[in-house]
Amino acid sequence: MSLKVTRRKFLQTASLAAASVPLAKVVSAENGFVRKPFTPPGSSAGTTTVTGGICEMCFWRCQLVGKVRDKKLVKLEGNPKSIDNGTAICARGNAGIKLLYDPDRLKYPMKNVGERGNPKWKRISWEEALDECAAKLKAVEEKYGPHGIAMFPHGASAKYPMHFFERAVGTHNVSEASFFQCRGIRDTAYVSTFNTAPGEHVDMANAKAILLIGCHFGENVHVSHLKRYLKGLENGAKLVVVDPRYSASAAKSDIWVQIKPGTDTAFLLAIMNYLIENNKYDKKFVAAHCDGFEEFQKGISHASLDWAAQICDIPASQIKEVAELLAANAPNVSIHPGRHVSWHGNDFQRLRAHACLTALLGAIGVKGGFVKPKGPKVKGISWAKGHHDGAHNLKEMADKYHFAPPGTPTELIRDACITGKPYPIKGCVIWGQNPMQTIPKPQKTVEALKQMDFVMCVDVMPTDITMYADILLPEASYLERYDYIKKGTQWNFADKHEQFISARMPLVEAMFERKDEVWITNELAKRMGHADKIPVNSLEEKVEKELASAGLSIAQLKKEDGIHIQPGKDPYGVSEDFEVLLYNEDIEDSGYPGVPTYIPVEEVPKGFARLVYGRSPVHTFNRSQNNVWLYNAMPVNPVWLNDESANKMGLKDGDEVSMVNSEGVKSTFTSVVKVTPGIRKDTVYMAHGYGSKNPMLTVGKGAGIDDQALITKIAIDPETGCSGMRNNFVKLVKSGKALDIPA
Amino acid sequence: MDSENHSITLPEIYRFLAQSMHYPDPEWMNADFIQFLNAFLQELHWTDEADTLNTALKSSDNFLEDIQIEHTRLFINAVPHVAAPPYASVYFKGDGTLYGNIAEKTKQFYREKGFYLSKEDDLPDHIVYELEFLALLENTDKTGAQEFLEDLFRPWFTLFYSKVTKEARHPYYRVMMKLIDFFTREEL
Repeated sequence: MSLKVTRRKFLQTASLAAASVPLAKVVSAENGFVRKPFTPPGSSAGTTTVTGGICEMCFWRCQLVGKVRDKKLVKLEGNPKSIDNGTAICARGNAGIKLLYDPDRLKYPMKNVGERGNPKWKRISWEEALDECAAKLKAVEEKYGPHGIAMFPHGASAKYPMHFFERAVGTHNVSEASFFQCRGIRDTAYVSTFNTAPGEHVDMANAKAILLIGCHFGENVHVSHLKRYLKGLENGAKLVVVDPRYSASAAKSDIWVQIKPGTDTAFLLAIMNYLIENNKYDKKFVAAHCDGFEEFQKGISHASLDWAAQICDIPASQIKEVAELLAANAPNVSIHPGRHVSWHGNDFQRLRAHACLTALLGAIGVKGGFVKPKGPKVKGISWAKGHHDGAHNLKEMADKYHFAPPGTPTELIRDACITGKPYPIKGCVIWGQNPMQTIPKPQKTVEALKQMDFVMCVDVMPTDITMYADILLPEASYLERYDYIKKGTQWNFADKHEQFISARMPLVEAMFERKDEVWITNELAKRMGHADKIPVNSLEEKVEKELASAGLSIAQLKKEDGIHIQPGKDPYGVSEDFEVLLYNEDIEDSGYPGVPTYIPVEEVPKGFARLVYGRSPVHTFNRSQNNVWLYNAMPVNPVWLNDESANKMGLKDGDEVSMVNSEGVKSTFTSVVKVTPGIRKDTVYMAHGYGSKNPMLTVGKGAGIDDQALITKIAIDPETGCSGMRNNFVKLVKSGKALDIPA
Repeated sequence: MDSENHSITLPEIYRFLAQSMHYPDPEWMNADFIQFLNAFLQELHWTDEADTLNTALKSSDNFLEDIQIEHTRLFINAVPHVAAPPYASVYFKGDGTLYGNIAEKTKQFYREKGFYLSKEDDLPDHIVYELEFLALLENTDKTGAQEFLEDLFRPWFTLFYSKVTKEARHPYYRVMMKLIDFFTREEL
C-alpha cells in the first residue's frame, strides 16, 4: 500500500472525477438517527422494573422481573409476587441476560450455501427463507406424503409449530426429547398404574421421609422444587438417596444406598416384597384402591432381600433398613417419581415399581405423599386436530412400544430415514432441539439428516444440529416474546391455598430480525396451503385468548404485576374411584410383564466403567454452554473416578483426560479427573451436555467431554420406545494411552 | 453521468464508510459503488488495494454473494463462529457480550450531541451507527467528533480492525478496515 497521500492532503485536494459517479448515488440519504434536543434525564434516568418474565434457561420456568435501563435489560430477579419460586432464581436464571446479549446468537435468517455439517452461511431475507422452506417442505409432502416430514421439537416455543406439522400437515413423525430421551417413560408408567402422569408432585415439604432414586437435587436445580425438598429436610424428614455416586443429595441423606447402576428395580421389588411379607404395607389403602394385589404379590415374591442385595451389590441389611424407615413413616412418604428417567432400557418397569411402592405405603393424597396440586384451568389455543388416520404411524406399523409417550419413538424415525422403510422421510424440521446432544449415537442422526431433501432449523443459538440445516431461522428468546402460560399453586401445601396464573411477556423487544414461533409457523402455513386453519394471528393474540379462558387479559396481568393470584383448593385427599393397577393386564396382553419386573442390563466389561451422567447446577446441558457467566462458573465437566481406581491407574485429581468407549468411539475433547471415594469403582460420572462441536459458539465450543458422543449403544425401553442412555462403558485416556479401569 | 470533479469532505467519507459496512444489498453494492470505491482508492494512490479488489471482482462468478457470505461469516454467524462482531461492547470494557456499558455510554454521547437512534431498541455501538454519527457530528461539532473518536471509537476499533484483518478471507473487508482506520486515526 502506498501512503503517499496523508488524510489532510487528501481532504484538501481530493477530486473524484475518475469515479464519474457522485457520492450521493452510492450512499443512502438516510441514516439511523433523528435529531432532537438533548434532555437531561434527571430523576427519570433510573432503572424500571418490567414484570411478566418467565424463565426458560431450564424448563421449570420461574417467574421473573426484569430491571430495564433505557431499553437495556440489566438484571433479572424472581418476581416478588410469585408464590412459586418467589424472589429466588438460580444461577442460570440470572445468566439469562448473557444469553440475550450473546454475540453468537442467531440474528437473521441464513441459507447454507455450503454442505450439511460443513455449512457456509449467507444472510437472506425472511421472504426468501420462508418461500424456500415452504416450497421444499411442500415438495416433500407432495412426493412422499405428509409422513415424509419429521419434526424434532423442544421447549415452549416448539409446541405451536409441532401442532401445525402434526395436525394441519398431518405427520405422526414428531419426536420430543423431553419425552423420548427424558421423562416420557415416567409419565406412561404412572398412567399405566395411577391413570395420571405424576410430574414431580410429591409433597416433600410435609413428608416424614423422602426416597430419591437417582435424583440429585442441589446439582439438579429447579427452584420451587428445591424449596419443597429443603423445607422437608428442615422439618426433619428422613432422606434416603439411592445413587452410585455421593451426590449433593446423598451428602444430606440419612441413608445413602450406593447401588450398582441398572439394578434399581430389583431394589424396589425387594422393599415391596419385604413390606408385604412383614405386613408393613397399607392394607386399608390397598383394599380400597389397588387392583391385582394377588398377582402382584406372587409376581414379586422371589424378590428377597438377599436376592436384591446380590444384584444391587449392597448389603441386604441396608435394603431392610430402608424398607423399615419407609414403613415407619408411611403414609407421609415422598417416593419421588424422578424426572430424567431414560437410563437403561428397562425403565418402564422401574417407574411402575416407583408408583406401586407409593401405593403400598398408602402415600397418595396425604401429607408428604404423592399429591397433585389443584391448580387453575387455562385453555390452551393451538391448531385444530385434523382427521388423520394411523396408516403411516410408524409405531402402529411396527406394532411395538405400546406404552410410548405422545409422538413417535426417535429410533423408529431415524431407522425409517436411513433405510427408507417402511417409507422414506425426506424433510426435517428441528425446532429448539439439539438432537446431536439429546439422542444417543449421533452418527445415526447425521446419517438420517444427510439423506434428507431439506432440513430446516429454528433456534435461539447455533447448536451442533444447526450445522446440518439448509435454512436456519433465528427465534426470539424467552425474554423477548409473549408465550407460555405458567400456572400452579403455592409451593408449600402447608401454606394458605392459593392459585396463580401468569403469562410470559417480553421484558425487552427482540433485536435484529428474530421472530416468534407463531409468526414463523403462520408464514409457513400460508405458503404451504394451510392459511385457512391458522388459529391465531399472533403470539400476543394466542396468549390473550388463553388468558380470556380464565377471565383474564394481558392488560389485567400487567396491572397485577405479572401474576394473578386467586383462592386455591385443598389438594389433599384421594377420590373413591382412584385406582392403582399393581398388576396391569393390558401391559401383559401387549407382551410385557404385567407386574413390575427387574430386567438385567449388560454387565460392565473388564477394564471399563459404566458411564453415567447428570446435571450441573449452573448449566442446562448444552443449551447454556456458550453463556459467558455460566461457562466461567463451570467450564468443564470433571470426570468422577473412584480414588482407589485412580491410584492404581496412576491418575490424580485434576489430570486432563479424554475417553474412549467399548465400541472404540473417542470423545472429541478432554476434561479433568475428579478423584473421590464418593463413586463406585464400576462407574464414572460427569455432568451432561458439554463438548459442543459447533464452532459458531465462541465460548462453549470444545469445553469438556461430550458424553453424548460416547453413548453409542442404543438401549430402547421395550414398552415405550424411549432411549436408555446409561449402558455405555468407557476407559479414560491420558497422554494418548487408554487406561484400564480396575474392577 | 456527472463528469464534474467532486470534492469530497470528511463527513461524506464517513457516510461512505458507514455505507460500506451495511449488509451488502444489491441496492447499494452495485457497479456504481464499486466504481466509486475504485476511484477513491486511486485518488489515495492505494493501487495495491484497488488491484486486489479488481482481481477478486474479475475472478468471481458472483461478487455480491461472495461479499454477502463474507459479511455473514465475519459479522453475523458462521463457521468458525462469528469472527468479528461489529460492536464496541464485544471488544472494550466488557465481557465479550453485546450491550455492555460502553454501548450505553455511546448512546449517551449521541444524545448529548442531540442525536437519538431512530430504532430506540437497537444496539447503539454498531460500527455503522458510529460512522454515521461521526458524519453528522463532523458537520456541526468537530471538537465533539474528535472527542468521540478518541474516547469511544478508536479504543475498540483498533481491536476490531486487527480481528477483521486477521479473519477476513475476502479483500473487500480488509480494504474497508484500512480505509476506516486511515480516516479515523489521529494524523501523524
